[in-house]
Order: sequence, then C-alpha cells, then structure tokens
Amino acid sequence: MRHRAAVMLTTDQFGYLRGVFLIASLAISLSGCQIESQTMVDDEGARESTFDWRVPASTPLPVEPEDNPMTEAKFQLGRHLFYDARLSVNGEISCASCHHQSKAFSDGIQRPVGATGEVHPRNSQSLTNSAYFNNLTWGNPALATIEQQIMLPLFGDNPIEHGIDESNFEQIIMTVQADETYQRLFLNAFPEQDDPLLGDLAWDNVVKAIGSFVRGMTSFNSAFDRGDLSASARRGEALFNSERLECFHCHDGYNFSDATIDRGVSFLEPKFHNTGLYNIDGMGAYPEPNTGRHEVTGNPDHMGQFRTPTLRNVAVTAPYNHDGSVATLEEVIRNYAAGGRVITSGENAGDGRVSPFKDGVLVPFQITDAEVDDLVAFLESLTDHDFLADPRFSNPWESTGENL
Amino acid sequence: MMLALAERLQPLGVATVSKGVGLTFFGVIAAGLSFAPHVSAHFIPDEGTGTQVDAAVVATWRSASVVDQYEFWQIPGTLMGGDAYPVTSGLSVDEVTVKAARRLDANTFVKLGLGVHSGGSQSGDEHQSVAVEHASLGFICCNTKDLRASGDASQIAAEFVAEIGILSAAFTPELLSHRSTASFSEPSLIADVFFGRHFHDQGARVWLHETAGWSAGAEIWQGKAFPATEGDDGGAWDVFARYQFDRDKLNMTLGGWWYTANAQSRADHRYGGGHQHTPVAPPGKSASQFPDIRYTGDLVLLGVDASMAYQWSAASSVGVKLSWAQLTMDGALHDAGGREAALEADQYAVWMQPYLNWQQHTLAVRLERLVADNRLSGASAATLGESAGVLNPGGHTPQRTSLAWTYQWRPQTTFRTEWIQDDTLEEAQSRFTLGVIWQGSLLSGGHAHGAY
Repeated sequence: MRHRAAVMLTTDQFGYLRGVFLIASLAISLSGCQIESQTMVDDEGARESTFDWRVPASTPLPVEPEDNPMTEAKFQLGRHLFYDARLSVNGEISCASCHHQSKAFSDGIQRPVGATGEVHPRNSQSLTNSAYFNNLTWGNPALATIEQQIMLPLFGDNPIEHGIDESNFEQIIMTVQADETYQRLFLNAFPEQDDPLLGDLAWDNVVKAIGSFVRGMTSFNSAFDRGDLSASARRGEALFNSERLECFHCHDGYNFSDATIDRGVSFLEPKFHNTGLYNIDGMGAYPEPNTGRHEVTGNPDHMGQFRTPTLRNVAVTAPYNHDGSVATLEEVIRNYAAGGRVITSGENAGDGRVSPFKDGVLVPFQITDAEVDDLVAFLESLTDHDFLADPRFSNPWESTGENL
Repeated sequence: MMLALAERLQPLGVATVSKGVGLTFFGVIAAGLSFAPHVSAHFIPDEGTGTQVDAAVVATWRSASVVDQYEFWQIPGTLMGGDAYPVTSGLSVDEVTVKAARRLDANTFVKLGLGVHSGGSQSGDEHQSVAVEHASLGFICCNTKDLRASGDASQIAAEFVAEIGILSAAFTPELLSHRSTASFSEPSLIADVFFGRHFHDQGARVWLHETAGWSAGAEIWQGKAFPATEGDDGGAWDVFARYQFDRDKLNMTLGGWWYTANAQSRADHRYGGGHQHTPVAPPGKSASQFPDIRYTGDLVLLGVDASMAYQWSAASSVGVKLSWAQLTMDGALHDAGGREAALEADQYAVWMQPYLNWQQHTLAVRLERLVADNRLSGASAATLGESAGVLNPGGHTPQRTSLAWTYQWRPQTTFRTEWIQDDTLEEAQSRFTLGVIWQGSLLSGGHAHGAY
C-alpha cells in the first residue's frame, strides 16, 4: 500500500515537471513556432470531379483529358455506343463484341475476329481500370489517351476491326443521327453544342463518349480490397511480394501495373517488358507482326516489349499474354518460374529463357505445385465480382428492350 | 574525496575534460550523469601518451517494443531515417564500441572507432554490422596552452584543431552521446528524428578547441549521414559555438549551432532505399511493403544546448540540461511512380532533463516534445504524405517522459533502469528497462572514451 502511495506521489511529481516543461514549450512557441503538430494538405483539386468515379478515397483519381472532362451524361452515351453493333461495316461488331463485361471486358478467346473476318494478332485486353494506364494497348508507346486508342478499332485497317472507313462512315453515322435515343443522349452529353450529331462533329463526340465510358470502368472491390483473403490467397500474396518470385516489381501499386498513371503522377517513363515468351531466331525475335513496342519504334532493343497489364480481374481474362498463347494462370506462372517460355516445335520454336531482350528482373525460380495454387488463389482474390455484373456497365439496349 | 570520485568516474570518459577545466567541474560534470554530459570537446589525445583503446558495451532488457515486429516506426508528422531503429522488447545489445586514439607528435593525432548498434529489422533478422565511425587525422595548430602552462603568461591559451576523415559531428552535444555515455538508453527525439540517431560522415572540421571556455568551429560533410545525401547536389555543413562557464560550485554551458544540408532522393534507409520486398511474416501475421518515398530539397537545422549544474558536496550535485532544435525543410516528396508533392516543414523538438547525483546513484528525468508543422501541396500530397509518415491526420504531437536511475556498481560497470511513458505515437505506451553498461580501457595511454 505504501508502495502504491509512493508511485502516486511520483506520478504527481511527473505531472508537475511536465507542466513546467509545457510552460517552457509554450515560451518557445511565443517565438512564433506552432505549439501543436499539424499537416496542412492542398491537393490542388486532385479529388475534385463532377463525375462519380467510384474509386476509394485512398486511391488517386484518374486523369481527365482537358478536351473531354468526365460527365455522367457522356458516360451513359458512351455506354450505349459501346454496345451498339451499328458502329461497324456489317452491323455486327460493337466494342462489346470483344470486350465482355462478365470477363472484365476481355473476350475469353485467343484472338478476336473483326467485322471482315480478319483475325486480330493480339488478345483482347481487359478494360479494367483503363483510365489508369499511361499507354493504351499492349505495345504502343504512342497511344497516351483512350480517345486515341478508340480510333484504331473503329477506323483502323491493320487489322480491320469495326471496318469503318471513308466509304461507309457517313452511312453509319446517319443511323446514329436517326436514332431518337441518341438524339437525346447526345444533347445531354454535349449541352454546349447546338447540334452534337452534325457531320464530323458527331464522330468526334462518338469517340469522346466511348472514351468516357471506358475511362469510367473502375474496379476496386475485390476480396483483396476488402482484406477478405483466404489462407491460400494470403500465402499467395506473400509469394507475389517475395524476393523469390519478384512479381510485384512490374505488377505494383494499387492497379498492379507499373504503367499506372493518375492525377498525382507528373511524368512516367513508358514501361514495357520482354518476358521471354518467344525467341524464334535464337536472337530474341518475336513472331511478326507481334513484336510489341518494337513494332512501333523500330528500335531493336524494344523487341518483344509489352506493357504490364493490370492483374485486377485477371482470373476471368484468360487466355493470357499479348497473343493469348498461354491458356491458364498456372501456365503463366510456370513460364515465369522457368525464366521464359520454351517452345520445342512449330514455327515459333525457340527458347525464350535465353532471349537477349528479356527483362533483367525475370530470373528462374523454384516453385511447388502448392505454391502455384496459392499464387493463383491470390490472383483470383483480385476479381471484383460486382464489377463483372454491375448494371452500370451493362448493355443498356437490353434493359430498354432495344437489343442490338 | 574529489580525486577518489575522479578516479571512479575516469573510465567513464569524463577524464577527457580539458586541462583548462578544473576538478571542480570535473566533479560537476560527472554528477550530471550523463557520463559525458555537455563536455564541449571532442577528444584529442595528449602528447606523450601511448595508444589509447577504450571499449563499451551496453545491454538492455525492455518490457515492450515501440512498434510491432512487422510495423514501421514512423513518428507522426516526421520524416525519419538513418539508424533510428525502434527499440524492441527483450534483451538487446544496444551498443558495442571500440575506440582508439594516438598522438603521433606535437601537432598530429589519429583516431579510429568501430561501432555496432542495435538495429531493428522488419523481417526480424537483426542486421547489425560493424561500422567505422571514426577514422580521422587531426592537426593541432598554434597550440599555446602548453606555453601558458609552462609559465609564459603572455600567451593566450588557444588551440586550433583541424580534423579530416570519418568524423562524428561536434556541433551539438546531442550527437556526441552514445547509449553508454548518456543517462538514457534511448536517444532523444532530436537525435532520432532530426539526425537519424548517429552522425558519422566523411568530412573536415576546423575549430577553436576549448580555449578560455570557448569552443567554436565549422564542419563540412560529404552527406553520407542523415539527413543529408551525398553527391553533386548533396552534402552538408555547419557552424557552432559553445561556452563553458564555471564559478565556485556552479557550472554552466551554453552553445548554439546551425546546420544546413541538401538531400537528393533521400530514402528512409531503415526500411527502404534499395531493392525492396515485402517482409515475409509467419503464418497468422501480415507484413506490408515499405513505401519507398523519397525527399529532395533543402534542410536547415539550428539549435541551442544548455546545461547547468550545482555541486553542493563532493559526492552530490544537481543540475538540468536543455536542448532545443528547429528543422526547416523546403523540398518535395516523390516516388518511383512519378508522383510528387511539395513539402514545407517547420519542426522543432525540445527536451529538458533535470537530474540529481548522489554518490554512485543518479536520478534523471527527461521530458521531450516534438512539434511538426507541415504543409504539403500537389495532387499526390495526401498519398505521399501518408506513405512518408508526414500526413499526421490526427494532429498528434509526440511527447515522451523518461525516468532513469543509474547505479555505478564498479568503476567500469553501471546498472541502469528506466521507466518511459512514450506518447510519440498516437497509441501511448509505458515500458521499463533494465540494463548494464560496461566501459573500460583495453589499452591504456589515457582514456579515449566518450569524447569522439
């Protein structure tokens, strides 16, 4: 009991001393110093937007182009256009033909087929969080905006996707202009324009609207985001971030890609990597025309370099890699474990492990079958099931009975 | 009695007090207990002595860790780094140091010091390594002290010293003390937050050494020591002045310093700064990757150190020490992903340490407070600020109260116990410690300890 009293006395003394100390601190503060800690933050409008991005507060917002700021009206117009097969030469191909919501806006096949039957050399990418990529498509460092990218499937001829060209674009836009739904949607989306469906302006608005819809496809509600991981997925997460596997070096950050840009990023070097998938000539060559960044730049050092895709929703976007030549996530992991892919026969035979252009971070590693399962479980935990079924991203023509 | 006390305390390093300081102050300084309190000197071996090699070992048992094993120690509102590792529960060898010094001739001397300090690791693996903390060559110029001592009263006792090599900073006593020489086993917030606990760097120093109570000089640094970085745009320099005054039983020391540094992409090397990986936690626990946020910009620190001691008898004294330091930062936080935010910060830390010394016992209390006034701007301000630890959304003001009792059992062995009320983090914690300090001379030519 006496001991307890002594402690209390000591505590009082400390209180006295702390009081004296506080007075001393206050005296210091009289010199102009702050007396309590504070951090003032001015994000210069980084969280401001008229659009509901549905992005967690801890995640930066995407960049909005100055010439195409996000609005809900443009998003909704773009949603209609995205699912509209009339925007093609044969009236059968829409954006959604190769980008299915249930597959995170990929299509589940190795390589898609365009309106004229031409097979695209590349696998359809997931559109998950496209707003956050600093370069669009698999390997084109020149495509910096979604609007630029959209021009390729609509109007490109190598390969032909929608097949819109000078011979048919007026006829196609006329079908849009004649649609009462579009008349209303265009006026809502571009209220500053007297006639947003007039002539070439209509196509410009089509691109901007589809761009707004794609840009608005944000996905941050996976089990991983909720911290609801299974034991296996947790083990897989540790493997993903481990010294041995090194996955996170390229698939880093909130979007699981080093090619991520947002409002807080002032500048980001183009990020492309050769993963040793091919080596058809023993000198690192990839099959034409799929040579990646090299295809655009012509720089031999860029052979086989592709942009790091996001891993969000990756479990529903099979098959994998830029040409869809890898069927499962397990195969992807085993290719990385080998330090590259070995193709023993056929026209693409070669040892990707010894490609001189392979990224230096890719070194072989040992992994057990159980660890592969754990890693796959982690990747599956990145699936945002709400995103895959969210009516906000679904086909509006089906809900209105105007099934196109 | 005074001599007996001096002999007892000599191995603790207080014998490094210069010839110009009387034994009265020797006793006062010893009573301050901090074994080498505000001795305004870096050790310079005497002419005619042999090689001196001293060593110290500090081992401490703590009742609690300041943060969990897989957490990062970031005091809210601050940018930490250097060697400021969090203390951990259980037994820890806080410090092992071996220091040697030799006077080569009338004008030159050399010093070499090796140290091992406890360093936490998020992986749980202690990555202690031996560090060369001192490796320097010194030149003494215009030494008139000896002339004065020999009776030439026309001379003003003065000693100008130049040193070059790996040095520890002399500009503030805050950076002179080790855990073996301080009253407390945990460095002050000024040392930990503003200087990353230790300050050893390649550089040069020119100073007036303990002349008529004055020590003053300037130092230039390559920038290897936190908070600076080395390189073309890095480096640091400082100026300082201290005055030691004594009259009868009263001893006072007052000093001021000004330090400026440049940092280029400075990392928190405790957890990041290189090839980074997420620590692998055991089953049932989780670990996260340390966000490698860098700081580039200017830093200016200035401070005042003061001490006052009253020796009321040969074996007892009472005193108080004060230290105040102000940090101003003007630069940017940034990461590898191209994010950047401007950071302006005005931070100050202050501590006060009253103490009582009676025979072999010393009771000391240290009260500390740190105030961080930060301004972040830019689109990534919140993101980078949170990751770097400067965001401090709760406006928490770190404080800490420490109470230490030390008992000098043998001339070379001291026991220490502490109670710490730690409010540096938002979650307050009380912990206590039990420790032992051994300090001794391995090769005697004098005592090199405590004044490096």
